[in-house]
Amino acid sequence: MILSRWSLLLCVVAAALFAPLYLGPFWLSLLMQILIFGLLALSVELLLGHIGLFSVCQAAFFAVSAYTVAILQVKYGQPTIVAVPAGMGAAIILSLIYGIAVRTSGVYFILVTIALGHVFWGISWTWVSFTNGEGGITNVPAPAVGSLVITSHSSYYYIVLAVVALCVLGYRTLTRSPFGLTLRGIRESESRMRGLGYNIAAHKYTAFVLAGTLSGIAGLLYIYFNRFVSPANAEFFLSIEVALMVLVGGTGTILGPFIGSAIMLGLRNYVSAYIDQWMIVMGLIFIVTMLWTPDGVLGVIRSLGIRGKTSHNQPGHRTRTPEEGK
Amino acid sequence: MDQNAVEVAGLTKAFGGVRAVEKVSMKVPVGQRRVLIGPNGAGKTTLFNCITGTFTPTSGKIFLFGKDVTRLAEHRRTAMGVGRTYQITNVFHDLTVLENLVLAIQGNSRQKWVMHRPVNAFSDSLKRAGKELDRVGLKDRTHDSVQHLSYGERKQLELALALASQPRVLFLDEPCSGLSPGERQRIAEIIKEFPRDITLILIEHDMSIALGLADQVSVLHRGSIILEGTPDEVRANPEVREVYLGKV
Repeated sequence: MILSRWSLLLCVVAAALFAPLYLGPFWLSLLMQILIFGLLALSVELLLGHIGLFSVCQAAFFAVSAYTVAILQVKYGQPTIVAVPAGMGAAIILSLIYGIAVRTSGVYFILVTIALGHVFWGISWTWVSFTNGEGGITNVPAPAVGSLVITSHSSYYYIVLAVVALCVLGYRTLTRSPFGLTLRGIRESESRMRGLGYNIAAHKYTAFVLAGTLSGIAGLLYIYFNRFVSPANAEFFLSIEVALMVLVGGTGTILGPFIGSAIMLGLRNYVSAYIDQWMIVMGLIFIVTMLWTPDGVLGVIRSLGIRGKTSHNQPGHRTRTPEEGK
Repeated sequence: MDQNAVEVAGLTKAFGGVRAVEKVSMKVPVGQRRVLIGPNGAGKTTLFNCITGTFTPTSGKIFLFGKDVTRLAEHRRTAMGVGRTYQITNVFHDLTVLENLVLAIQGNSRQKWVMHRPVNAFSDSLKRAGKELDRVGLKDRTHDSVQHLSYGERKQLELALALASQPRVLFLDEPCSGLSPGERQRIAEIIKEFPRDITLILIEHDMSIALGLADQVSVLHRGSIILEGTPDEVRANPEVREVYLGKV
């Protein structure tokens, strides 16, 4: 089992490293989108899978870093080396402000984050002199460090791959750390955590800012991939779509958001070739996921695996019965 | 400096028009084992929640080790050495027994903020977790998920969690409720073996267990303390028998 897992990982790494060699431009571009939006979905997963907070404003952090880069590069002629840290900083500052949302929980948290996401979208839409409003900001130059300009899709792919890989490794370390365990404790029982000496609000706030930062990194990758940013990148619709990626892929894992991203983006590409109504299809996926596979694709695979193992289960271990729930 | 671990002065907690706790005053010296008894609805758990910081009292004052904590946040009281268990088991169901313990151990240390090292790297915490599990007899369940534990084992885990945060004063809310007589005896034995320097305040309905553990007993009835005394005094008091067992 362990051997096959490592060999599988090796295959994936090799496939990812050599992707530009065997993928055409269309598929490579799709793969980059899957990675970028998978990273954005991972930021949702940090809050949803670990603390149980369903954030619907991650698009705002994604868009604020993309907008910052676009405005600095296009309107003020700043180089990449200035624009990228500024974009990062903008995402962090916005998440520090939006972090007030963690004072609420459950449905109220969802509503507050919808509102906060909308505020940013509204700004990007109406502040025409600064953001170009509906038209967005076009002609963002290719990323450049000194005389090195990364123009080709395949070389930018390696940057995306490297950044996403670093983020995933960082995420993995974070979730296995005492801090990560603390977040899962909060998900399980806030009252008990308070009784054990935890300042719940401080941990939630920190996690929210970390998630916002992660969304901001995804936004940085996106702007140099797409070279264009518009209010559509800040929409409520995008926040919902990435949240759905997490649900479709399965919460509680690192792989889930990326699988969800692949399924959603793949489907969208496929479906929109035949009909325009991607929204309807997405709504249906949402309903089907929530009703029949709340643990997502990975949850289905895992439960198949467990079912296969029950024939030789160890004594002393029972499967969970419904009345054993909280 | 008086040597009271807990002092409550004129404490009242009202929920709307209902006064769950009314003008309760109580002093528990350091190291004492105090049992609160009283019929259902007497206000025992509400009194607990006020002292540990889950509720803010309507009026009155609360002191822990001589310090006024009436308005202090719950997690800060924990940092002062308050530990507690819950009447309805309140543990982390989707985590393993070991992870539960680590959460309790790191609660009062900076370790809870560490993001760059895995939990497994903190061998001190793991060692202490093992020791606490040994104390409550859950050592062989270390790596099991809590949802696979029996109700009695969860009660044992409650005790382990409370002990692991190294409290100076420990509030136990019906540690034996819902258990069979044999399991109750087991929990009582575990509690008896607790270090004597921990001040214990516990709510218990099982009179033989309650009076067996107590140095001093407080009897609550309709939100007020009607009697304080040694187990023998309480046992002999006719009023308590009437209130607690109900007049037929």
